[in-house]
Amino acid sequence: MKKILAIAWKDAILRFSSPSEWLFFIILPIVFTFIFAGGVPTGDEDNRIRLVVVDQANTTISQEIIRELENSTSVRPDVLSLEEAEEQFDAREATAVLVIPAGLDMEAIQNGTAQLDFRQPPNNLDASIAERAVDTAIRRVSSVASAAKMALDEAKARGTFESAEDEQAYFTQALELAKSLQADAPERVTVIQGNTPDDFAYDPQANVSAGQLITWVFIPLFGISALFAYERQHGTLRRLLTTPTSKATFLLGTISGQVVMALVQMTLMVLFAVFAFKLNWGNPLAVYIILTCSALAAAAIGTAMGTFIKSEGQAMGLSIMAGMMMGMLGGCWYPLELFPSFMQTIAQLFPTYWSMQGLLDLLLRGAGVTGILPEAGVLILFAGVFFSIGVMRFRYE
Amino acid sequence: MLKLLLIGLKDLKLMFRDRAALLLMLLTPFLLTLGMGLVTGQFSGDNNSGISDIPVVIVNLDNDSLGNALVDVFNSDDLADLVEPASSQDPEAARRLVDEDEVAAAIIIPAGFTQSVIPQNNGAAPNEELTIEFYSNPSRPTSAGIIKAILDGFLARLDEMRLGGLTTITQLLASGRIQPQDANQVGEEMGERLQSAAVNGETTAITLNTSTSEQETNEFNALAYFAPGMALMFLMYTVSYGGRSILAEKAGGTLPRLLVSPTNSAQVLGGKVFGIFLMGAAQMLILIGASTLFFGLNWGNTLSVILLVLVAVFGATGWGLLITALARTPAQIGSVGSAVMLIFAMLGGSLIPLDNLPAITQALGRITPNAWAMDGFLTLALGGTLTLLSPPILALLTMGILLFLISTVLFGKKNLIQK
Repeated sequence: MKKILAIAWKDAILRFSSPSEWLFFIILPIVFTFIFAGGVPTGDEDNRIRLVVVDQANTTISQEIIRELENSTSVRPDVLSLEEAEEQFDAREATAVLVIPAGLDMEAIQNGTAQLDFRQPPNNLDASIAERAVDTAIRRVSSVASAAKMALDEAKARGTFESAEDEQAYFTQALELAKSLQADAPERVTVIQGNTPDDFAYDPQANVSAGQLITWVFIPLFGISALFAYERQHGTLRRLLTTPTSKATFLLGTISGQVVMALVQMTLMVLFAVFAFKLNWGNPLAVYIILTCSALAAAAIGTAMGTFIKSEGQAMGLSIMAGMMMGMLGGCWYPLELFPSFMQTIAQLFPTYWSMQGLLDLLLRGAGVTGILPEAGVLILFAGVFFSIGVMRFRYE
Repeated sequence: MLKLLLIGLKDLKLMFRDRAALLLMLLTPFLLTLGMGLVTGQFSGDNNSGISDIPVVIVNLDNDSLGNALVDVFNSDDLADLVEPASSQDPEAARRLVDEDEVAAAIIIPAGFTQSVIPQNNGAAPNEELTIEFYSNPSRPTSAGIIKAILDGFLARLDEMRLGGLTTITQLLASGRIQPQDANQVGEEMGERLQSAAVNGETTAITLNTSTSEQETNEFNALAYFAPGMALMFLMYTVSYGGRSILAEKAGGTLPRLLVSPTNSAQVLGGKVFGIFLMGAAQMLILIGASTLFFGLNWGNTLSVILLVLVAVFGATGWGLLITALARTPAQIGSVGSAVMLIFAMLGGSLIPLDNLPAITQALGRITPNAWAMDGFLTLALGGTLTLLSPPILALLTMGILLFLISTVLFGKKNLIQK
């Protein structure tokens, strides 16, 4: 026991011999959690196609057009100046631009001179969707004027007006009538939301806190492989052979030391999430079961990796790569629910998936100790399998 | 000059022999890009935000002019690329398709819909309560939104037609231009004319002049975002790796040994810096080549891409030098370099699009070569040309020159290279 503690303590001293270790131990994880919490896709943001609108008219009619576009289910208008719009269009940052020229008002509509400019790149599906939305918006805005104009044209076809005033009066009357008819227009469509299984509980702060915690803890635990490589390269592992220390004691010392450090790191990140985001992690016992099982699984993988890898540099590179890949594919960076279905299945091959699901059970689904036991079980299974590989293949030289 | 080149090439060769370094310089960014492609469905066509061939099912129980017209709209050539309509006669089955996430929406046109909109000869009052049911798939909000917009467009035309007809007849009657007994006939004539106009989507009272620019845009592929993002992230690793080699050579004694040869310190340092630059450029070009080859990614105009790579590596090399100038040991460069790589990746939009981040983070991101180079790569991927690249190129060049100057001053103070 004393030996195990001594080995663990030595590793802790080695790890924190450089002050920059604090950067990776707690500072960067917290900064990442904080910034990512505001930036990851939630799946419910405004996905409508952005349509740049330039309103040079600034009349009731132009504002009504913009309002109609805001109600569109396919585009979202973004009003900019002509200069900005042209710049964005040229830089391919805007798919399509609608320019409402000065002087667009009811009179222009009545005279038939009202015009809008729509600019689009060739063969672009987004732009043709936007064009359709603009067409619908102007149709809605101008339908009253169109109706009045139609009424006037039909009247003219059945005889002339005595004076221009009469004609204008007829138009105005028709316009008023059309307005009242439009106000009473019946609804033509009923929208019903289907029961597609979609409603996943998502909270960016909870997801990011759990996801970053796992990523930042898995990478250094995979780095146990670098620890072995370091000791092997420097011959200190061989030196241990001369002492009455068994393989098991050495491995246990190294691993338990790293797992305890990981638990301290995770505790700090859990506390950060509590204070910064007011996250409720639920039952503390359940939290520590999941955290401990996750750390054990990661440490076991690091141990197994350490028996294959020759140099410290390779071990470092590989642990960063494996940690990032598993973090990403296990759903720690982006919500798993946004993955294609086959990737959701593949995600289950990674321990990061089970850690993430365990923590989300606690954070979002209100699970207790029994609720996280399946995930904890799978993580222990990972730990068992990889420890066995590690112990079997472990060599001092 | 030759010496400079030789030192640089020697470092490049050493890099390709260092398997551990290659793991992070080439394999990791490549695999992360592949992973991003997999989780965002780029390779499976299972992309939630993909907007082509949107599946929709239409149940036309109306089987009259308006119901048929709506079916025709969805089957028109205009929409052939956008929607993939299927028809059904069973509303329940159609709703089930939505519930099972097979289609983005179901449109159910009730029996008698046409008659509810257009007053019939038999004088029966229109049944205004009949509505088209839009049964939407909440897990495909973008696609469902587009289908709804197409339906809204059709209904807006319908509404315009109804409004025009009713206003005209009412006004004609009120002004005595037609008699009540003629109203039906006039209405019918107008109805026919309007219906064909509505179905054909004739012009509105406001004319929409559509102009199509000549510049073709490439279809955007999310990988065009992740691939440069990951490459730029690990470019920062490469430049600090190169910096580390300067201090490692000093510690190992090979750097002072070089000075015994007729090579001055400026040449040695210049050669080492050139080496870093070569390593970065080689890494970026290999990654670009690999993603083009394996993922079929279109990075845009080749010459512009190469130019952008060179200036991006130049800017990043500046940061690598600064880190080297400030560090005391190779290990310090290693850990500070990795930290800078991660921070720049986050601030520079390599991991998540900058647009999603708070304004202050976006502004801070401008100190990173990642953000500027990302701008440039995205512009090129969308089909932009060299002329649009001046802001990122200027920014990266300025960044590189400034950092080179600062580093040179620091190197001088440090007496890094001495016999």
